[in-house]
Amino acid sequence: MSLFPVAVIIVAVALVAGALALAAFFWALRTGQFSVRHMNEGALTIFDSTEPVGMPTDQTLQTPQEHPDDRTGKQLNAR
Amino acid sequence: MTEQANSSMPVENQSPGPSDHQSDEDLRIHIDDSATSPTLLFLATSMVWLIIGSLFGVVVALKFSLPDWLGSVPALTFGRLRPAHLNTVVFGFVSLAGAGMVIWLTGRLCRTHIRWTGLLYISVIIWNLGLLLGTALVLAGYSEGMEWLEFPLIAVVPVALGFVLFAASILKTFANRSVEHIYISLWYILASLVWFPILYVIGNGRFYQGVSQAAMNWWFAHNLLTVWVTPLGLAGAYYFIPKVIGRPIYSYYLGLLGFWSFALFYNWNGLHHLVGGPVPTWAVSISIVASLLMFIPVITVAVNHHMTAFGNLKLVRYSPTLRFVVFGAMSYTVVSLQGSLEATRTMQEIVHFTHYTVGHAHLGVYSFASMILFGAMYYILPRIAKWEWPYPALIKVHFWLTAVGVLLYFVAMEVGGWLQGMAMVNGAVPFIDSVIVTRPWLWGRSIGGVMMTIGNILFAYHFALVVYRAGPIRFAPGWVRKAEGQTS
Repeated sequence: MSLFPVAVIIVAVALVAGALALAAFFWALRTGQFSVRHMNEGALTIFDSTEPVGMPTDQTLQTPQEHPDDRTGKQLNAR
Repeated sequence: MTEQANSSMPVENQSPGPSDHQSDEDLRIHIDDSATSPTLLFLATSMVWLIIGSLFGVVVALKFSLPDWLGSVPALTFGRLRPAHLNTVVFGFVSLAGAGMVIWLTGRLCRTHIRWTGLLYISVIIWNLGLLLGTALVLAGYSEGMEWLEFPLIAVVPVALGFVLFAASILKTFANRSVEHIYISLWYILASLVWFPILYVIGNGRFYQGVSQAAMNWWFAHNLLTVWVTPLGLAGAYYFIPKVIGRPIYSYYLGLLGFWSFALFYNWNGLHHLVGGPVPTWAVSISIVASLLMFIPVITVAVNHHMTAFGNLKLVRYSPTLRFVVFGAMSYTVVSLQGSLEATRTMQEIVHFTHYTVGHAHLGVYSFASMILFGAMYYILPRIAKWEWPYPALIKVHFWLTAVGVLLYFVAMEVGGWLQGMAMVNGAVPFIDSVIVTRPWLWGRSIGGVMMTIGNILFAYHFALVVYRAGPIRFAPGWVRKAEGQTS
């Protein structure tokens, strides 16, 4: 069996995927995704004013005494 | 927030006043709420496939040591159970859990509510029906006989359609994002949404025969990890490591370099599985070169993740998410570098057709991707169910069972596989000796598999407790009280 059919498919897929990748790359370039401002600030976008840089956001294994949110001694009573 | 941290915030987030604090938290809860039902459905059904797939895997592993066990039941013979294990784990657990994580992450990263949730409900239903049908048909003996392409067409169509509907909702949400910048995790997610449907449809085309079928099979099988499983894991790691620690990713430049080099090199890798096979040498050579070029994205990702976590690893004591995700990220580095070396002809001479390759595959799918997905679920589930994990001890048991289990599995398979390969290439050694030499290591495989399965079952039980809001009431973080309308 010749490799011709699979070669045709792989080349076609490569061209389509390559074109999509190039389109995405140039779109990102045009919209400034790689600009210095984005590069410097992009990493900060997962933080906000209530979960800022410097604040760990998961303390599931802390005991109640260790948990900073629970110093007031309030318990969840949502059942 | 410190003054230093404040000055480095994006322009739109500078100088938050009290009302901004209020709105940021409200927005986050609103976004999480919009993702709750679809995310929960994807994650909950993934739990079912995790248990089914794990049990299949344990039986398959034990059959190496007890070859006659269950041999009289056709549906439980090795040739049917193994593909059932592969498909339920990859298209069931990893894909559905990954999709659930993607839904939640997309809302968070686009800072907008999830769009077209109706499509997600239809998606999760037909995706699961396709999996159920495909698994039943494989067990009934109607496998297509190609690795990771075993499902008959009648089961492939609903899975593919389910994925398309899922992708449509995510892309619609992305199109309505309220942020200008696309975070690295979103790059991986968006790319996988474009790549995976192309791969799945082409791979399941039924017009290949003979050598071209083998070439297509391994192009598909390796790229399934490339364009779907790996981006899911990396998207999760790029979000959860900095988010849990509270520290931005070490180098954003490296992050994007890693993504684009990943996109450029990784999809050429598949044909290294056919070293020595009846395919053109140049095609295999290109694949080997591309495999070695994967050092570039892997090292960039490794440097980024490890430098971000560096100095903050003490937080794994408190955060199950960080514990699992860091374990997964470290496994990514190991499995990727191992994979690049394993692709070379020198290594293939020994390890081809041995258990070594199976150990490598488990390091990728379980130790890397599944552990990151577990970590993601430990973070996401309490935030959408509004109920904290009730038993911290169970989380620790889950981690140690799965971590030790997969490492035991990996070591047993690599050592056993290497000894097997050395015996196979030695013409003076009878073939049966290459089988006998693996026997103790195959028990290691089974014990590791049993440990992982017990860990998975405990996790599914714990997952169900959170969903049903059962178990002891724990002290809850502020966001739970806020979401429940309680004052802090």
